[in-house]
Amino acid sequence: MGSIKMCHMMLFFAVLSAVLAVTFGDNSTDSYWLLRIKSELVDPVGVLANWSSRTNICSWNGLVCSDDQLHIIGLSLSGSGLSGSISPEFSHLTSLQTLDLSLNAFAGSIPHELGLLQNLRELLLYSNYLSGKIPTEICLLKKLQVLRIGDNMLAGEITPSIGNLKELRVLGLAYCQLNGSIPAEIGNLKNLKFLDLQKNSLSSVIPEEIQGCVELQNFAASNNKLEGEIPASMGNLKSLQILNLANNSLSGSIPIELGGLSNLKYLNLLGNRLSGMIPSELNQLDQLQKLDLSSNNLSGTINFLNTQLKSLEVLALSDNLLTGSIPSNFCTSSSSLRQIFLAQNKLSGTFPLELLNCSSIQQLDLSDNRFEGVLPPELEKLENLTDLLLNNNSFSGKLPPEIGNMSSLETLYLFDNMITGNIPVELGKLQKLSSIYLYDNQLSGSIPRELTNCSSLSEIDFFGNHFMGSIPATIGKLSNLVFLQLRQNDLSGPIPPSLGYCKKLHTLTLADNKLSGSLPPTFRFLSDLRLFSLYNNSFEGPLPESLFLLKKLGIINFSHNRFSGSILPLLGSDFLTLLDLTNNSFSGPIPSRLAMSKNLTRLRLAHNLLTGNISSEFGQLKELKFLDLSFNNFTGEVAPELSNCKKLEHVLLNNNQFIGMIPSWLGGLQKLGELDLSFNFFHGTVPAALGNCSRLLKLSLNDNSLSGEIPPEMGNLTSLNVLDLQRNNLSGQIPSTFQQCKKLYELRLSENMLTGSIPSELGTLTELQVILDLSRNLFSGEIPSSLGNLMKLESLNISFNQLQGEVPSSLGKLTSLHLLDLSNNHLRGQLPSTFSEFPLSSFMRNDKLCGPPLESCSEYAGQEKRRLSNTAVAGIIVAIVFTSTLICLVLLYIMVRIWCTWRKVMILSSDSGGTEHNIEEEKWDYGDEKKRKGEYWKVNTMALVPSQEKQNLSSPTCIFQLKMDSETMETTMV
Amino acid sequence: MAIWAQYHLLALFLLTWASAVPTNANMEGDALYALRRAVEDPEHVLQSWDPTLVDPCTWFHVTCDSDNRVTRLDLGNAKLSGNLVPELGKLERLQYLELYMNNLVGPIPVQLGGLKNLVSLDLFHNNLTGSIPPSLSKLSNLRFLRLNSNRLSGTIPRELTKLGSLKILDVSNNDLCGTIPTTGSFSKFSEESFMNNPRLEGPELMGFVRYDTRGGCK
Repeated sequence: MGSIKMCHMMLFFAVLSAVLAVTFGDNSTDSYWLLRIKSELVDPVGVLANWSSRTNICSWNGLVCSDDQLHIIGLSLSGSGLSGSISPEFSHLTSLQTLDLSLNAFAGSIPHELGLLQNLRELLLYSNYLSGKIPTEICLLKKLQVLRIGDNMLAGEITPSIGNLKELRVLGLAYCQLNGSIPAEIGNLKNLKFLDLQKNSLSSVIPEEIQGCVELQNFAASNNKLEGEIPASMGNLKSLQILNLANNSLSGSIPIELGGLSNLKYLNLLGNRLSGMIPSELNQLDQLQKLDLSSNNLSGTINFLNTQLKSLEVLALSDNLLTGSIPSNFCTSSSSLRQIFLAQNKLSGTFPLELLNCSSIQQLDLSDNRFEGVLPPELEKLENLTDLLLNNNSFSGKLPPEIGNMSSLETLYLFDNMITGNIPVELGKLQKLSSIYLYDNQLSGSIPRELTNCSSLSEIDFFGNHFMGSIPATIGKLSNLVFLQLRQNDLSGPIPPSLGYCKKLHTLTLADNKLSGSLPPTFRFLSDLRLFSLYNNSFEGPLPESLFLLKKLGIINFSHNRFSGSILPLLGSDFLTLLDLTNNSFSGPIPSRLAMSKNLTRLRLAHNLLTGNISSEFGQLKELKFLDLSFNNFTGEVAPELSNCKKLEHVLLNNNQFIGMIPSWLGGLQKLGELDLSFNFFHGTVPAALGNCSRLLKLSLNDNSLSGEIPPEMGNLTSLNVLDLQRNNLSGQIPSTFQQCKKLYELRLSENMLTGSIPSELGTLTELQVILDLSRNLFSGEIPSSLGNLMKLESLNISFNQLQGEVPSSLGKLTSLHLLDLSNNHLRGQLPSTFSEFPLSSFMRNDKLCGPPLESCSEYAGQEKRRLSNTAVAGIIVAIVFTSTLICLVLLYIMVRIWCTWRKVMILSSDSGGTEHNIEEEKWDYGDEKKRKGEYWKVNTMALVPSQEKQNLSSPTCIFQLKMDSETMETTMV
Repeated sequence: MAIWAQYHLLALFLLTWASAVPTNANMEGDALYALRRAVEDPEHVLQSWDPTLVDPCTWFHVTCDSDNRVTRLDLGNAKLSGNLVPELGKLERLQYLELYMNNLVGPIPVQLGGLKNLVSLDLFHNNLTGSIPPSLSKLSNLRFLRLNSNRLSGTIPRELTKLGSLKILDVSNNDLCGTIPTTGSFSKFSEESFMNNPRLEGPELMGFVRYDTRGGCK
C-alpha cells in the first residue's frame, strides 16, 4: 500500500516538472530533445561534437539561448555537412524563433510537426535534398517572417494558405519541382519584400492579386511555365527593384504600367512570347540598370531608350522582330552602357553612328540584322570595346585601318557580310585580339604578316574569301593559336614550316586552296591537333613519317591532292573517326595499325594506288559506316571479318581486282544502303542472301563474271532504287519477284545471257525513270504491253534480243520517253504513231517494222496490191529493183570505205564522222564508269553508220549486208 | 540529234561558269539540311544526312555529279511531312527533284525557279497549297512537271507556256482556276493534264471571245 502511494507521489512530481518545463521553459528538456535529434543525424564533420549533457546547452554549437538562458530561441546549422532526415522532434523546441538547416544534405520530407513551432520567425531549409510536398501546417506559423525552402526536390502545389503568413517578408521557393499556379492569396502578404519562385514548373497566369504585395522589392519567377499576359496591376508594385519573368510562356504586349515602377533596376522578360511594340513608357525607368527583352516577338522600332535611361548598363533586345534603325538619341557621352545586344532582329540602315557616343560600351552585338554600308573609321572611338559582333549583315566596303586602334578588342566577328579589300596591316596592333572571324566575305589580297603580331590570337577563321599569296611565314609566332581555318581561298605556295610551332592547334583547315609542296616535318609538334583538313589542294610527296606522333587526330581529310607513299604516318592516333584520302597517289597496303581506331566511322581511300587485300583486322572496326576502297589495285578475296562491321551503310569496293565469290555474309549487314562491287573479278552466283539487305538503295554488281540465275530473293529489296547487273554472264529468266522492287528507278541488266520473255510484271515498276536496259540478252517472245505503264520512263533499251511480234501500241503512251532502242530484234508491224519523233536507229534491223519514222505501212501494203494488177507496174518494179541494186552497190562501196576509215579512227580513238550517233551511244551508258584502268571501253560501234542509211533501207539484201558488216565489226571490237 | 548538241553546249557553259564562280563549301548540304529540319521524318529516311560532312554526296537519296554537285533528290513516297524550303533553289545542278507522294504542305517555294538544270519536278500527291509560282517558267530544261493531286489554287501561270522542253505537264486534281493556256508548249497537252480542277474554265479561245485569264478566280 505504502509503495503504491510512493509511486503515485513520484508520478505526480514527474508530471508537475514536465508541465513546469513546458510552461516556464526548461533548457534541460530542450537538451533532451536535441540529444535525441543529434542521435538521428549523420554528422561527418563533427559540428555537433560538443552537444553533450555534460556541457551547458547554451554553449552548444549552433544554438542561441534567450537572454535568461532558459530558452533555446535559435538553431543554426547551415552548411554543416549534415545528413539524415529532419526529425519531427524539432517540434518540441517550442521556443525556437530561428531554425536554419540550409545548405546540408537533409533528405526526406519536411515534417508537418514543424507547424507546432508557434514562435518561429525564420525557417531556412534551402539547398538540401528534401522531397515531398510543402506541409500546409507551415502556414500555421503566424509569426513567420522568412521562409526559404528552395533548392530542394519539393513537388506539388503552393498551398493557398500561404496567404495566412501575414508577417512574411521573404518567401523563397526557387529551384524545386513545384507545379500548379501561383495562388492569388499571395496578394495577402502585405509585408512581402522578396518572392523567389524561379526554376519550378509553375503554370497558369500571374494573379492580378500580386498587386497586394505592396512592399515587394524582388520578384523572380523565371524558368517556369507561366502564361497569359503580364498583369498591368504589377505597375502598382512601386517598391519593385528586380523583376525577372524570363523563360516563361507569357504573351501579349509589355504593359505600359511597368513604366511606373520607378525603383526598378533590373527587368528581365527574356524568352517569352511577348509581342507588340516596346512601350516608350519604359523610358521613365531612370533607375534601370539591366533590361533584357531578348527572344520574344517584339516588333516595331526601338523608339525608347533616350537620354532618360541614365543608369542603363545592359541592354539586350536580341532575337525579336525589331525594325528600323537605331534612334539618334540612343547614346550620350555620359552613358554607362556596357553591353548592347541587338542581334537577330530586322534592324536596317548603315552602321549606327549614334552608338559611337557610348564610349563606355564593352560589348556590342549587332549580328544577324540587315545593316549595310561601310564600317565607319570612327569605330575607334569605342576604346573600351572588347567584343564587336557585326556578323550576318550586309556590310560592304573595306575594313577601316582604324580598327587597329581599338586596343581592348578581343573578339571581332565580321563573318557573313560583303566586306571587300585587304586586311589592314594595322590589325597587327591588337594585342588582346583573341578571335577574328572574317569568313564568308569578299576579302582579297594576302594575309598580312603583321597579323602574326597579335600574340593573343587563338582563333582565326578566314574561310570563303579571296585571299591570295602564301600563308605568312611568321605564323608560328601565334603560340596561342587553337583554331585556324583558311579554307576556300586562293592561297598558294607551300605551308610555312613555322606553322608547326603553333603547338596548341586543335583545328587546322587549309582545304580548297591552291597550296602545294609537301607537309613540313615540323608538324610533328602539333600534338593537340584533332581536325586536320587539307582537301582540294595540290600537296604532293610522301607524308613525313613523324606525323605518326600526332596522337589526338580524330578527323583527317586530305582528299584530292597528290600525296604519295604510305598512309601509315596518318595512323598514329587511336581516335580517328574519319579518314578521307580520296583521290591521291597513296600506295602500298592499308596498314593493320588502322584497326586501332576503334571509333572509325568513315574510311574513304578511293582513287589511289593502294594494293594488297582487305585484311582481317578490318573486322575490329565495329563503328565503320562508310567504306570506300574503290578505284585502287586491291586484290584477293574480301576478308570475311568485314562481316563484323554491322553498322556498314556504304560498301564501295568497285574498280579493283577483287576475286572470289560475292560473300553471302553481306546479307547480314542490315544497314547497308549502297553496295558497289562493280568492275572486279567476282565470279559465281549472285548470293540469295543479298535479299536480306532490306535497306539497300543502290546495288551495283556490273562488270564482273557473275553467272547463274538472278536469285528471286532480289525481290525482297523493296527499297532498291538502282540495280545494275550489266555485263556479267547471268542466265535464266528475270525473276517475277522483281515486281516487288517498287522503288526502282534505274534497272540495268544488259549484256548478259538472260533468256525467256520479258516478264510483264516489269510493267508494275512505275517508278522506273532513268532507264530500263535489257539490251544484248537473249530475250524472246513479245514485248509485254504492260511496259506501257512505265509513265516516268525516260530511256528504254531492249535492243539486241530476239523479241518478236508487234510493238504493243501501249508503248506509244510512254510520253516521258526520251531515248528508245528496239533495234536488232525480230519485231514487225506498225509502230505506235508517237514513235515518229525517234530516230531511225531506234528501230533498225528488225523484221518488218513500219510506220513513221520508218516507211508508212500503207505504202508497204500498197506495193503488194499493185504487183497483182497490171503489167505496167512490173516495169516500175524492174526499175526499182535496178536502182536499188545500184544504190546497194554504191552503199557497199561506201561501207567498205567507211569501215576502213573507221578502224583508223578507232585506233586514234577519236571520232570524226557520225558524232551524233556516238553521242547517243554514250548516253546509253550514262552514269556508268566507262574507264577501267585507263582503258576506254567502247561498247557498241555498230551505230556509226553514215547518215546515208536512210535512203538505202528499202532493199532487204542491203540490210542483211549491213547487219553482217556490223556484226563482224563488233566481234573485232569486243 | 540537235538536242544532244544543245546539251553539250549547255554542259560546256556550265563547266566554265562553275569554275568562274567558287561555290560555298557545303552550301548544297546546308540547303538540303534545311529541308531535313523543316520536315517530319517518321521513317528516318534522312538519318544519314550529316551536315558536318564536306558535301552531301554520300547522303542517302542524294545523287551528285563528278564535281560533287547534287543532281538528284529522290524522296518520293518517303512519308515526309512539313514544308518545302526556299533553300532548295540553291541546288543549281539539280535535275531531278522527286518529292512526290509525301505529306508536304505549304507553298511551292518561288526559289525553285532558280534550278536552271531541273529536268523533272515531281511534287504530285502531297498537300501543297498556294499558287503555282510563275518563276517555274525559268526552268528552261524542265521536261516533266507533275504537280497533280495537291491543293494548289490560283491560275496556271501563262509564263509556263515558255517551257519549250516540257513534255509532261500534270496539274490535275487541284483547285486551280481561270483558263487553260493553249499556246507554246501547252498546245500539246490534252485535257487529262488539267482535269479535276472544278474552278478551271477550260482552254482559252484566243482572239475569239473576251480574253480573261482570271475567270473563276475571285
